[in-house]
Formats: sequence, structure tokens, C-alpha cells
Amino acid sequence: MNRIVTGILCLAINFFHHTLFNPFASAEDWPVYRGPDRNGISKEKDWSDQWPASGPTIAWRSKVGIGFSSVTIANGKLYTLGYTDDHESVLCLDAKTGQAIWKHDYEAPLEDRFFEGGPTSTPTIDGERLYSLSRQGELFCFEASSGKIIWAKNIQQEVGSRIPGWGFAASPVVHQEKLILGVGESGLAVDKMTGALLWKSGDGEAGYMTPLPFEINHQWHAMIASGKFYHCVDLSTGKVAWKHRWLTTYGCNAAAPIVSNNRVFLSSGYGRGSTLLEFNQESYKVLWSNKEMQNQFNSSLLIDGHLYGFDGDEKGGEEGEAGTGESSEERLNEADRVQLKCIDFETGKPRWSISGLGSGSLMAANDRLIVLSQSGELCIAPVSTMGFRPTARAKVLDGKCWTVPVLCNSLIYCRNASGDLVCIDVHSPTEK
Amino acid sequence: MTLQRRSFLQASLASGALLGSGPMIRAASKAKKYRTVLIGSGWWGMNILREAMASENCQVVALVDADQDVLELAAEKVKSLSGDQPKTYQDVREMLDKESFEIAIVATPDHWHALNAIDAIGKGAHVFVEKPTGHTILESRAMLNAARAANRTVQVGLHRRIGPHYVSGMKFLRDGNAGDIGMVRMFAHSSGGKEKPTPNSPPPENLNWDLYCGPAPMRPYCRKIHPGGFRNFLDFANGTLGDWGVHWLDQVLWWSDEKFPKKIFSSGGRPISGKAVLNDKEQTTDAPDAQIAVYEFESFTATWEHRKFAGNGAEKHSVGCYFYGTKGTFHMGWRDGWTFHPSDSKQQVVHQEAEHQEPDGHSIKLLWADFISAIESGKKPTCDIEIGHLATNMSLLGMISHKLGRSIEWDGAKERIIGDEEANRLLRREYRGPWKYPTA
Repeated sequence: MNRIVTGILCLAINFFHHTLFNPFASAEDWPVYRGPDRNGISKEKDWSDQWPASGPTIAWRSKVGIGFSSVTIANGKLYTLGYTDDHESVLCLDAKTGQAIWKHDYEAPLEDRFFEGGPTSTPTIDGERLYSLSRQGELFCFEASSGKIIWAKNIQQEVGSRIPGWGFAASPVVHQEKLILGVGESGLAVDKMTGALLWKSGDGEAGYMTPLPFEINHQWHAMIASGKFYHCVDLSTGKVAWKHRWLTTYGCNAAAPIVSNNRVFLSSGYGRGSTLLEFNQESYKVLWSNKEMQNQFNSSLLIDGHLYGFDGDEKGGEEGEAGTGESSEERLNEADRVQLKCIDFETGKPRWSISGLGSGSLMAANDRLIVLSQSGELCIAPVSTMGFRPTARAKVLDGKCWTVPVLCNSLIYCRNASGDLVCIDVHSPTEK
Repeated sequence: MTLQRRSFLQASLASGALLGSGPMIRAASKAKKYRTVLIGSGWWGMNILREAMASENCQVVALVDADQDVLELAAEKVKSLSGDQPKTYQDVREMLDKESFEIAIVATPDHWHALNAIDAIGKGAHVFVEKPTGHTILESRAMLNAARAANRTVQVGLHRRIGPHYVSGMKFLRDGNAGDIGMVRMFAHSSGGKEKPTPNSPPPENLNWDLYCGPAPMRPYCRKIHPGGFRNFLDFANGTLGDWGVHWLDQVLWWSDEKFPKKIFSSGGRPISGKAVLNDKEQTTDAPDAQIAVYEFESFTATWEHRKFAGNGAEKHSVGCYFYGTKGTFHMGWRDGWTFHPSDSKQQVVHQEAEHQEPDGHSIKLLWADFISAIESGKKPTCDIEIGHLATNMSLLGMISHKLGRSIEWDGAKERIIGDEEANRLLRREYRGPWKYPTA
């Protein structure tokens, strides 16, 4: 009963918010990167934000291969990408048990320059179909239930777009009949049923963020980044309505923008900082701009007028000295350079910050932040503008965790760079 | 080794000497602001410039980089950190024509170091140049000769000669605490695997690829080279031996007071990353992913080894050098400080923590202060050009032996390889286009 009410509420909220509504996904599903509302916030309420001192219940663990792909979930199936021995795989697992359902392999390089390498985008579920994009531009449309390929192509080779330094990282975005991809300097669109190219953009290097659709005066647009600009793109034509110069070291515009009414929040690391723009169909103005929130690759959340996110850079550096000689002691030092932070959306002013979580990531549900630290500690804490006070924390993974955790149907999925995927059971006692 | 078993040296012992000299340098140079240019404005160049600005004894007048975006970002950073509004240039020749400056910082890829440093010296500037001092030995020699002829201060970025734990570790060694040293093993290991070719592509519109390549051969652009990937392309650098190697080879020269080895042999290749590829369509890196080099000195032999795979931390240290002595084994490390393991099991392990500037684990603040002090006193800086040249030579001789596949004998006084003209030809290389190889 409760769930039905929640579902109806979700429908209503979905229509009022400037977000995509996916008629196939149930309220509990997490069919796209950052969730059904593309904001990193789940509407789930019936889950437990506490666990015994001995730690949470681990439902299952699995190996999905090297990479940073997050998970998407619909109809009891979980999808992600991973790299193993000269190939990448699109994997479909049973979301409850972790059992393999299907897998599709294709040849791909590891490309581990300055990091562990492997796929960085997250597959997208659209009803009976699943879409995935590799760093090299391999684009697939699968039958979600079976893994049968409906169509496939290398979109980079088809359009001749440059591959950015770390390959394509944007997750495919389904918008009405189009599939929007972060390929080219301001994206491109193909027909989601056939893969036929609808429009494309210039040859500049793509950024690494996932395109974010939203409406301006009932016309659909999307924010799509290159390494130098955030573009507001008219989704019907691919034309750039306006663009904001946003030059970031290494062209690393990777974090998701956040749109709220007629404003958009942009953030990048490497000293770039963040800004809030107010826009209409033709132009925009800068409301504020500062260095308080520098999202290097994981995105912030907007909750009740405040942004929660990780500010600062994980050590990047060049190939050579800085890339060598990692030790655990070193990682401890690194952890202090990145902070989990809360800032005011209206003003950009900081509210609180804490260090020690490294370059982590977060989502939210039921007024709780679900945070995965870089070293694999899962923390649950109330959303508060006063500070970060976890009600539960537990080390759930070893190694480097840069991939955002996902709560779906009272299960939290966490993944590390080397490909350990752990499913944590957070059913509330009454539910069990 | 457990923490309990370690005995820590008094921290003040290591840092005292350095703290003593810091404030004095600052006080002495407060009045003077050196007009400073940065040539090569990427990650490491900005690390140096940041310290130069923090020292408050420089005014940044110009930035140079072949990448317009890098310039824009660097200029923005300079303005926010110091208030200076430097001019920006993609072409170093234009900067040399238009600007007057007293200090040049050179932090380009290796193949540009010598030309830039020599031109800056020619303009009367003092130079802070990154290691290695050359891509080939004779251009490094030309830089040294130019510095001496013009009586300019040239500091090389060998910050491991000034960082607190390196200084205290070297004192520990030289005081005889490890006994007589019979062997030294230097290494830098990291992780990696097989390398697939990366497609060539037109260079980004912000990058002047012709200027990037400069005196080096014009090869097709691929995104693996720039930004930040030049070290493993031998047109522009000399792989891990020409990067990490220079630091640890320098530690051996520092410890031994030797100037050069007599005999060098190096072997290695790309057993894991695979054969190098370069064609119209695609390319890979071409530096060795595994290499061993043996340096025979008058009284001892030192070895270098690196590999770029199996970086799973199975060994205690992934970089540094081991000095094997009659009283025990001494490891000089990076972020792991230094550690002495006595042969006598009744004695305690001695350990000194590292003390660095983060995030990149260096000691440029100290090196910069030392540079300014040298300019003002007329004394040689701690990492004088000759020191940098000799350490660079070691790495480049290793690369020559590796390329030839045979050992070489080095006449360090004459800087010639004995009885091997083919090897001597590798002491220099042909420059491309309008660029002229500097003469010693």
C-alpha cells in the first residue's frame, strides 16, 4: 500500500520536476546513472540507516572486472561494465542474488593512464532495452532481459569525433525517441530504436559528464560539456542555445550539472571550482562563481537548497614520478586533500566540510546521505546543513572506490576499481 | 617490521639545519623581486612556479606553453595566487624576443630543456631547469658550458638532494652507520600491462603540435602523448630511467662523491606492454617497461631496475635505493622516508619519516630558496647544473647501452665512449626544422 502511494507521488513529482519520466521503470528501479530523476536522490524510504556494531549484512559479493561503471537496476536485474583480460564486458546480474544472467564481451584496451583503467560509463535501461557506451565509442543496444544485441556500432568511428584523453565516460541518455551521447564537443543523438544518427556536434574533445536533459519553456534541452565549455543544447536539433566557457585542466569536466528551475550548477576539479548560472532559452548570467566545491568526477546532490559533494582532487599528476610508488601511508595523506562538503546553493557559501573520506562519492535517500569513501567505507548520515554525523559506518570494500554507491530495493551496491561488487542488505527490520 | 620495533630519530635532528637557513633567505631577498618566466606551464612547471610565487621573490612576467589552454589556466592561477598578470606565449622564441627577465624556469618535456635553458642563459637569466638536463648528453654538456661561460646560476630540480629525510639519510650513511657499502640497488616499480595502440588524431586546436615537437622528430599526435604522457615516448624523453632514474642515480653520486661510472650495461625492453607501434593510424609508447642497468664505478657497482607491471605491492618498497653495507641494509625511499635494518638482530631498526610538500611529495620550496640564495651569494646552488648534468649522464648512458645492446666504457673526463663510434653518435641527435643542436 505504502509503495503504491509512493509510486503515485513519484509520478506527480516527476511531472513537476524537469526530469525525464520513464514509463517502464517502477518506483524502486534505478534505471539510469544518478537514478530516475538524474539527481542522485532515491525516493526509497523503507530501508534501515543503521546496522549492528558487527556490521551490515552482506547479501552477496561478485567480481565484475576493472572499471568505474556504476550499476543500474530494473526488473530485478542489475547491469554494469567491467574489464577483464583484453576485453570489456556488459554484465547482467540478478540484483538480489548477484548471480550472472548474461554477459557480452568485446575487445577493448584497459587504458590505465593515471588510474586503474577500464570502463567509466554506466549502462542505461530503457524499458526492454539496455544501452552501453565504451571509452572507445562502442555503442550497444541490447535486449535487456537476454543480452541479445538489437543493434551495435562504433559511434566514434561513424562520426569521426575525437576520443577525449580518457575516452568517452558519459552514460547514454534516453530522451523520448532519441539516445543522447556525450560524443563530440556538444554531444550527438541517434534514433534509440535503430541507432541511426540524428544530429552530431563539432569535433572538439568531449567532456566526461553524462548529458542532463531538462526543459526550458516546454522545450527540451540538455547540458553537455566539452573540455572547455558547458553547452545548453536544443535536443530537437542539436543546436547550441548558449554555452559557458569552463576550461578545466585535462578537459576534465566530469561531474553532473544540477538543474533547478531556471538555474544550473556546474562544478569541476583541478582548481576550476563551481558556478551557478541563471538561464533562459537564449542566454544566461552568472549568479555566483567560487572555488568552494570542486567536483573532480563524482557529482554533488542538491537537497533543500544545499549542495552536498566531494570537493578537491584525488592525486592526478603525470605519467612518471607521481604515478609510481603508492603505499597505504600515502593514501592516508591523500584522504585529507579531498573533503565532503555542504554549500549553500543560492550563494555558494560553505556550511561544513569534513576530511578523511578521500575522493568518495554519494547519493541520498529518505533524508540520508549514503557515502562511499575512497577506501571503501560505507557511511549513512542524516542530511544536515549542520554537519556530517553518520548513524552507521562499515568498511565494505578494499582498494580504491571512486564509483558512486546505489541504493535500490533496500540493497546498497558498492564497487571498487578492481571490480569487487558488494551488495549490502539494508532492509528495515519490519520489512524483513 | 612492526611499528613498535621501529625507533624514530629525533625529528629535529633532520629538520633543524633546514629550518635554520629558511628565514634568513627570506629576509635577505625580501627587497628583490626577480622578473621570472615559466617555460612549460603544465603540472610540474606550475608546482615550481607556485613555490616561486609563495617565496615572494618573483614577479611572473611571462608564461610559455605550446598548449593555449594550459597557458590560459596557468595565467589564471598566477593571477589568483600572486596578482601578477603574465603575458602568455605559445612560441618560446617570441617570448625571448619580447620579454626581459632575470629568472627562467624550464619545465617542458625533456627534449626542450637544453634549448630553452641555453637561450635563457643567453638572455642573461638565471635558470631553474627540471631534470634531466638534456635529452642527449651533449646538449646537457652545452647547457653546463653556457652556464659557466655566462656565470649564471643554474639549479636543477633534483629536490631529493635537499628534502629533509634525504639529507638526514645521506648523513646517516656517510657517517658510516651502515658500515662499508658494497652494493647499491636503485629501483622504481609501478603497475601496468599490455599496451594497445592508441589511434592517431589531429592535435587539439589549442595545441601547437609543431612547437610541441620542436627539435624532436614530428610524429603523429595521439592523445596519449599530451597532456602528461611524453615520458614514455623516446622522441621526447627517456622513459623511467630518464625520469625516476635521474633522482636515484643522483643519490648514488651524492653518497659516493663519484662523478661518473667507468662501465655501463643496460638490458630491457617491452616484454609486457609489447612491441612499440608507430604508423599512420596508431601508435603506442616506446619506452622500456622493464629495464636493468649496471653501473660499474671504481670501488663499487650500482644497479638500476624498473618495471611497469606486477605493481601489486608485494615488495616492501616500490621506489628508492638500497645501500647494502657491512652493518646492515639502508633503504632511501620517497614517501616512506628512510629505514636502516641493522645486520645485528639485537639492534633496532632505525627509521626516519619523510617530510614533503604535498600533494606531489617534493621539496621545491627548499630548492627554490636555495636557488635564490645562490643567485644572491654567487655560490653554487645545492643542485648545480654540473650535479644535474652528471646524474642525467648516468641515465642517458644507460639508455645508450640499452639501445645498442652492449656495454659501453665511459671516459667521464672527456665525455666520450671509449672505442665505440656508433655509441658516440648517440651522445647527440639530429634536430628538426629550424632548431640547431647546441654546441658545447
